[in-house]
Amino acid sequence: MASFLHTCFAIASRWPTVLVAAYSLAVLSWSMPASLFPYKSSLDAITIKPLIFLNLWQGWDMFSPEPRSEDIWIDVLVIDRDGSQHHWPLTHMIEMPYFDRWQKERWRKYFNDHLRLDAERTLWKPFAEYWLRTLQTQGHDPITIELTRLWHPTHIPVSAARRADLYRGPWNRFVFYRWTASERGSR
Amino acid sequence: MTLCVRSTWLALAAFDDWVRTPVDPRPLALFRCWFGFLCLVNLLLLWNDMPMWLGNDGVLPPATHLLLQDGTRFNLYMLTGYNDVTITLIRWLGLAGGLGLLVGFLPRVSAFAMWLAVSSFSWRNMHILHSGDNLIRIGCFFLMFAHSDEAFTLCRWIATRRAGVGLKPFRQIPAWPQRILQLQLCVAYFVAGIWKAMGVAWQSGTAVGTVLQLGEFQRFPIPDWVMTPIVSQLMTHGTLLFELGFPFLIWIPSLRMPVLLAGIVFHAGLEWTMNVQLFQWLITAYYILFLGPLFSTSTQTTAVGPAATTAGPACSA
Repeated sequence: MASFLHTCFAIASRWPTVLVAAYSLAVLSWSMPASLFPYKSSLDAITIKPLIFLNLWQGWDMFSPEPRSEDIWIDVLVIDRDGSQHHWPLTHMIEMPYFDRWQKERWRKYFNDHLRLDAERTLWKPFAEYWLRTLQTQGHDPITIELTRLWHPTHIPVSAARRADLYRGPWNRFVFYRWTASERGSR
Repeated sequence: MTLCVRSTWLALAAFDDWVRTPVDPRPLALFRCWFGFLCLVNLLLLWNDMPMWLGNDGVLPPATHLLLQDGTRFNLYMLTGYNDVTITLIRWLGLAGGLGLLVGFLPRVSAFAMWLAVSSFSWRNMHILHSGDNLIRIGCFFLMFAHSDEAFTLCRWIATRRAGVGLKPFRQIPAWPQRILQLQLCVAYFVAGIWKAMGVAWQSGTAVGTVLQLGEFQRFPIPDWVMTPIVSQLMTHGTLLFELGFPFLIWIPSLRMPVLLAGIVFHAGLEWTMNVQLFQWLITAYYILFLGPLFSTSTQTTAVGPAATTAGPACSA
């Protein structure tokens, strides 16, 4: 009995070692591609709930496995009741002053990585309505709000002429959402 | 077979020793200061846009946010519900937490406050998060359990000034929070390298040249010579080499400083060319945790905390 208790105490006193090893294994499994980590599904099944609950979830796959092959930005066109048109190039980062593009990195994240996508169409109307409310407080009276995605492909082989700070269009464009005043009552 | 079992046992014992041997508090304390400052900058960059990203009248109203939910995450909104008062709470908790970490005032409580603030805005709008937010949440979480107030605190500095004598010796602290953050950094690099190595563009050496064509990430101007196929190939494969090599080479004492310096150069280059806000600053902040040997030759240390009583007095990196 004494030796059993001694063993239990010895293991319990090593909780930091167990914790460090278990956490490292858990986040490695969480972050690794499933095809390269055979124990991923069984390990993640155990760790997913605590990692999410404690906000320790993570991902380290930026620009991978393939970097984006298209340069993109989002434009908002607003048509007021008096017919005047206004453009807001939301994520045309290259046109922004250095501080602004740094401060608005989260804009790029939200609009380019999420709002732009057809798979995330649930975000379109709430954004248009937010933009509408914002403009109304500034004295505008919008009757149409259009969200447009613009893109052009990158090129291989790379050359100095393709530097992002030099490269301009031509841009492909597609209006992916249009809000009109008739939708106002549907809120 | 016996040799294999013995080797495994020795490796486990060495790992146990490495985790449980108390360490010099200064690397962790210095990390806390710099990390706290970066947390503050991160908060201030988000400050004005919080109503847009997190508010009920923002881009993600509650009805839409509910559709995007997956899993339960501990955060302020669990207590407040969808309420714009939470934005004020996030701001002030974050501000207090960041300042507390910076000056070392109640650093565990401060780390909790910052962790709660970041976790809350992370839950309310997951679409605005970048990898820097991951590093902040994880860093704050483990600082909640660390004795990071054993060095570089305002209180200690004032007390020393008032006493009019030299610095008191630093007490050694339990190592495990520092160890877990060191291993976290290694996991981040290793996994990033693995994901990249799976891509055709990374294998062929065109990935960096492709990324540098993306205006959405463009920061400061880059010279023409960077945009050549050979330099793109060098940088692409250099990135893979660094990210996959760091987690292993950093543990070789004679290579530690060269690896850290290579990391600083690597991230400084990314900071110049790529507009990814604070990520480069935050990830290199974690490098401070590896600077133990720089401090080991100076002031004497003594042990503190429960884990410290189970091991010898020596500090290790």
